Amino acid sequence: MTHTNHRQGTLESLSKDWIVFMYAARGINHEGAGPKMQAFLHLALRHNPVNIGSPTIGNMYDTTTDKIMEGLAGATKVYAVFDDGAKAAALIMDAKEANLGVSVIVSGIFEEVEKICQTAGIKRHTAQCSLGVWGKTDHLPPPEILDITTMCGHGLVSFNLVRRMTDEVRKGNLNLEKAAVTLAKPCICGVFNPERAEELLERCLSAGI
Amino acid sequence: MRVDDESCIGCFNCVAYCPVEAIREDNQAGKAVIDEAKCVECGVCLRSADCPSDALYQPELAWPRILRAEFSNPAIALSTGVTGRGTEETKTNDVTGRYPRGYIGIATELGRPGTGTCLGDIERVARAILSLGVHFEKENPTYNLFEDVTTGNLREGIAEERVLSAILEFKTTEEKAPEVLKTLAKVAKEVNTVITVNIASRFAPDGSLPAARVAREGGFSIRPNGKSNLGLGLPLIKG
Repeated sequence: MTHTNHRQGTLESLSKDWIVFMYAARGINHEGAGPKMQAFLHLALRHNPVNIGSPTIGNMYDTTTDKIMEGLAGATKVYAVFDDGAKAAALIMDAKEANLGVSVIVSGIFEEVEKICQTAGIKRHTAQCSLGVWGKTDHLPPPEILDITTMCGHGLVSFNLVRRMTDEVRKGNLNLEKAAVTLAKPCICGVFNPERAEELLERCLSAGI
Repeated sequence: MRVDDESCIGCFNCVAYCPVEAIREDNQAGKAVIDEAKCVECGVCLRSADCPSDALYQPELAWPRILRAEFSNPAIALSTGVTGRGTEETKTNDVTGRYPRGYIGIATELGRPGTGTCLGDIERVARAILSLGVHFEKENPTYNLFEDVTTGNLREGIAEERVLSAILEFKTTEEKAPEVLKTLAKVAKEVNTVITVNIASRFAPDGSLPAARVAREGGFSIRPNGKSNLGLGLPLIKG
C-alpha cells in the first residue's frame, strides 16, 4: 500500500526526492493500460529521471530503458524518480495535458506538491500521510542508514549493503556513484533515488558508518 | 533460498544483500550458508548479488513457506492478483472511491522498515483493531491469512512464518479514527517488530485533509512528505 510513503530524511534532502507514477485501477481502467503506461514513461523520459521502473520488470539499473518500455505493454503501473522538483512539475504538467485517464500520484514534500499542483491548475484528490515508525524502534540502525534504505519501500535494500558500500567507498574500491547504483539495483520497482543516495552515503561516511 | 554447496566459491558477496541477515559466512567450510528460519524468500540475493558461480537457487516453496515469498518478493503476483504487499488504496482513489468523504484509510505495516516480522505479530495487532469493529480490506493479501477475519485468528500453522513486512489495511469513520490510532499505538508496544503507520483521506472541498486533522488532534505527528493522488484518473469518481 505504501511503498513510496515512508521516505526519511531532512527537508533539504527530501526536497531532492520526487516520485511521479501512474497506476491503473483493477476493474476500472486496468484492461489495456499498457500503452498508457508506455506513453507516461515517454513523457517522464523527457525530464531526465534518475530512476524508472515497474515491479515484475525491473529498474533502469538492473535492466535497460528499452526493456522497461517493452515490458510496460502488459503492465499497470510505472514509476519515475526525480532529484529536482522542477522536473517532477514538468512531468505533472505533461501528464495533465496528455489526459491519459489513469491515476497519477506524486510522492514528495506535501507543501511543494501543493505549490506545483496550484501552478498546474490541479486540485488534488486524496493524500496519504506517514505517522512514522512505532514499535521496537531500537531494532533499527542509525538514521543515516534509514534515510537511504527507506527509499525502497519494500525493504529490499539491506542495512548491511549500505554499511558495505560505505566501507568500499572509504577503502577507495568504489566511487560514490557506483556505490549508489549498487544500492539502487535491489529496489525492483525503480523508486530508489541514487542521486540522493550519493549525498546520503557521504553523510554516512562523515558519521563513521 | 538455498546455496548449492558444490558451486559456492565462498566470495560472500551475497551476505550483505540479505535484508534480514539470513546469509552468513561459514569460514571453516568456505561457503555461504542460509539460515532457513530467518530467510524470508525475498529473492534479493538471487536477483541482485551477481553470484559469480550461480550457486544461489530458489527451490519450489510449499505451504506455508510460500507465504514468505508472497509477502517479501514484490515481483511475485499474489493470489489476490495484486503485486506488492497492499492494495491500490490512495493511488487509485480518484476512480475507485475506496475512501469516500467522511472516511479515513489506515494502514499499519509490520516489519517495515527493514526488520521483518513473524505473522504471529500480525495476529496480535489484528485482534486489537478488530475489537473496535473495523473491517479489513478484502483485497489486501493479509486478509487471506485469517481463519476468522472477525476475530483476527490466523490460519493454523502460519504464525511462525517470517516475512519482510505485511500490512493490515482498513477504513474507518473520521469519528472513530482517533480511537483506532490510540489502540494501534498501544499494541505497537507489545509486538517484537517495528510498525509504520499511514493515514489517508480524500481532500475536503475547502482543500483541507481530514486525515491530517484527525492525526494531529489525536496527538500524532505527521511526516512532511507523503503521497498525493492528483485526480487525473478517469472516470473520476462522483461525489
